[in-house]
Amino acid sequence: MSFKGPAKYREEAAKTIHEKPEVRASITAATRTFDAHRVHAWGQIDADRWRDWARDVKTHVLGNLDEYLEQAEERLTANGAHIHWAETADDALAVLSEVVHAHGIARVVKAKSMLSEELGVNGHLEGLGVHVRETDLGEYIIQLLGDPPSHIVGPAIHLSVDDCRSLFHERLGTPLDAEPDELAGAARVALRAEFLQADLGISGGNFLAADTGTVALIENEGNIRLATSLPRVHVAFVGIEKLVPSLEDVSGFLQLTARAATGQPIGNFVSLIQGPRKNDEVDGPEEVHVVLVDNGRTKLLADDAAWEALRCVRCGACLNICPVYRQTGGHAYGWTYSGPIGAIIAPGMLGLEEAMPLPHASSLCGACTAVCPVRIPIPELLVHWRQKAAEQGLTPAAETMGLKTYAKLAQSPELFRAAGSVLRHVPLELGGRALPVVGGWMQERSAPKSSKKSFLQMWKEGIE
Amino acid sequence: MSARDRILERVREALRDRDAVEHPGKFEGWRPTAASQPINGLIQLLEAAGGEVVRQPNVDAASAWLASFCADFESSAVGETVPHALRPPLPSGTPDTAPLGVSLARGGVAETGSLIMDARDGRRAHLLVPTHVVFVHAGDVYATLREALIDLADDLPSAIGFHSGPSKSADIGQILVRGVHGPGRLVAVLIESGDL
Repeated sequence: MSFKGPAKYREEAAKTIHEKPEVRASITAATRTFDAHRVHAWGQIDADRWRDWARDVKTHVLGNLDEYLEQAEERLTANGAHIHWAETADDALAVLSEVVHAHGIARVVKAKSMLSEELGVNGHLEGLGVHVRETDLGEYIIQLLGDPPSHIVGPAIHLSVDDCRSLFHERLGTPLDAEPDELAGAARVALRAEFLQADLGISGGNFLAADTGTVALIENEGNIRLATSLPRVHVAFVGIEKLVPSLEDVSGFLQLTARAATGQPIGNFVSLIQGPRKNDEVDGPEEVHVVLVDNGRTKLLADDAAWEALRCVRCGACLNICPVYRQTGGHAYGWTYSGPIGAIIAPGMLGLEEAMPLPHASSLCGACTAVCPVRIPIPELLVHWRQKAAEQGLTPAAETMGLKTYAKLAQSPELFRAAGSVLRHVPLELGGRALPVVGGWMQERSAPKSSKKSFLQMWKEGIE
Repeated sequence: MSARDRILERVREALRDRDAVEHPGKFEGWRPTAASQPINGLIQLLEAAGGEVVRQPNVDAASAWLASFCADFESSAVGETVPHALRPPLPSGTPDTAPLGVSLARGGVAETGSLIMDARDGRRAHLLVPTHVVFVHAGDVYATLREALIDLADDLPSAIGFHSGPSKSADIGQILVRGVHGPGRLVAVLIESGDL
C-alpha cells in the first residue's frame, strides 16, 4: 500500500475510525506517551528561550538560504563529497540511478528518512532491480507489511505488539507469543546480514551545517550509523531547508529536536558526517553523495506567509498533541507528512488543489503551535490556505452556496426572522437529512429539538 | 542553466522582498550539573540513558579493571587509537564477530551524556559489537555540546558519532528494547587523572 493522495482524506479518516478502532487506540496511546516525554524534558530547560533561539536561527537561514547553500556545497566538495542538486523527485531519483549504475549496486540498506519516502526511493530502487531494506525497526516492520509510515518519528505506531507478533511469526519464524525483546532480536539478526552485504547506504539528514559541510543525523537504534559507515557508498538526501549556519548551531538543534520528539537530552546516537573515509581511517564509505532536494520547497519559500513552515525540524510534536491526528494516525492524510505540519506544507509543495482538503483537517485549537519547537504559526497558516482555497473556488459548492445564502439572510432582519421562523417549524430530524452537507453530518447524529420561540421573542419577554 | 542555478535563482526570487533576520547568537544550553564538575553530568545522563559508568583514578587502574572485565569474553575488536596499556588481554577478533569492542573516545559531553567517537578510531568496532567499552579521559569532558562542537570543528575526520546510551527502540508497541542494531551494552570507563 502506498499513499493515495490527500483528496480522500475525509473518507479515509472515517474509514479508519469505523473499520479499525484499534488504530485509534494505538495512535492515541503512542502520541500521548511521546507528548508526556516532551513535557517532562521541556520542564528541565528554559524551553521558551530555546525555542526563540531556534526560530530565529531558522528564520535567519531561510532569509539567506542561497548563500548558505553555496557555502555548504563548497565545504562538502572540499571534504571530498559529491554534491547534486535536484529540482524534483525525478531528478533526485536520477542521481540514485547514476550511483547504482556507476558502482554496480545490488543491495541497499536505508536509514529512516521522510524525504526518501517523499521521493519514492524504495519503489525506484526496486524498479532498477536493486534489493532495498529499511533498517529502522519501525520502518522495517512497515516495509514487511507494505504500509507507508503513519508518523514522522514513529512510523509503525499504528500497529500493536500483537500485529508485530503475527508479522514476525510469519516472516522470521518467531513464536506467536514472543516478547518485544525476542522480536527485536530476530530483526537484529536479519538486518545485521543486510548491513554486512549492502553496497550502498541511503540516509536523509536532520541538519546540514554550512560552515563545515556536516550532515547531522539523530537516532536511537544505531542503524543510521551502520548504514552510513559500512557500505562502500553513502547517499544522503537533504532538503534545502535543512541548512544551519554552523556546526556550533547544530548543538542547539540536536538537543531541542530530541527533547521535542522523544523527550531525551539527545538521541542515543548522533552522526556528524563530513565526507568519505580519509587516508588515516580504517573504514567508512569510499564515496559520499549529498543530494540537495528542492521538490516544491522553493515554492513554499516563495509564499509570503507559509514559508515559515520550512523551519520545521520534523520532531512530530505537533502530531503528538493534535486531537485530529490522534483519531486516525497519518495514513488518512494520504501523503508522506501528516498531521498539522503536513497540512500546511502540502499546499505549498504539492499545490493547493492537490492538497485539499488537508488545511481543513484541524479544529484550529492551537495546541500544535503551542508545542512547536521552532514556533511555526500552524493555525494561522491553516487559515491562510483555507482563505486561498476559498479565493480559488476550491471549497465544496454546497458550502459556498450555504454561506452565500446565510450572508444574504443575515443582512436583512426581516429575511433573517422569516427564515428562522420557517426553520423552527420544520422538524430538523426530517428536513436535515434531505439537505446537502447537513445530511451527511446527520447520518451519525440526531438533531436537537427546535425551540418554539425565537431568541428575539424570548429576549423581549425576558430571559430567565 | 543547471538545476543548481535554477534552484538558487528561485530561492533568490522568493527572498527578493523579504526582510532578513539576524542570527540570534550563541546557543545557551542546559547543564545538568555545575560546569566545574562536567564528569558528574556525563555520569548522571549516561546512566539515565541505560549506559554503565566505571570510574578509575588512572590508566594503570583502568588497565587492571579491563583485565578482570575481559574474563567473560573470548575475543575483542580494539580501536585504532586505544593506547597500549588499555588494550585487552584477549585474542583480537573482527568487529562483526567479536563479543566485545574496546574504544577510546575523543571526549565526552556533560550536557547530553555523550561519548565522542572519532572515525579515526575505526567505526565498525564502535557499532557491530554487542558490548562496547569506551575509555574517556575526564580532562576531555566538555560541559556543553556547543563547546565540544566548536573544538571538534578544528579537526574533523570523515565522521563523528556521539554515543549517549546503548542501542534502543520502542518501535514495537512502544515497549523499550535494547541492542537493536548497535551495542546493547555501553560501558564508559572514566579515567580521572594522569596521562593516557
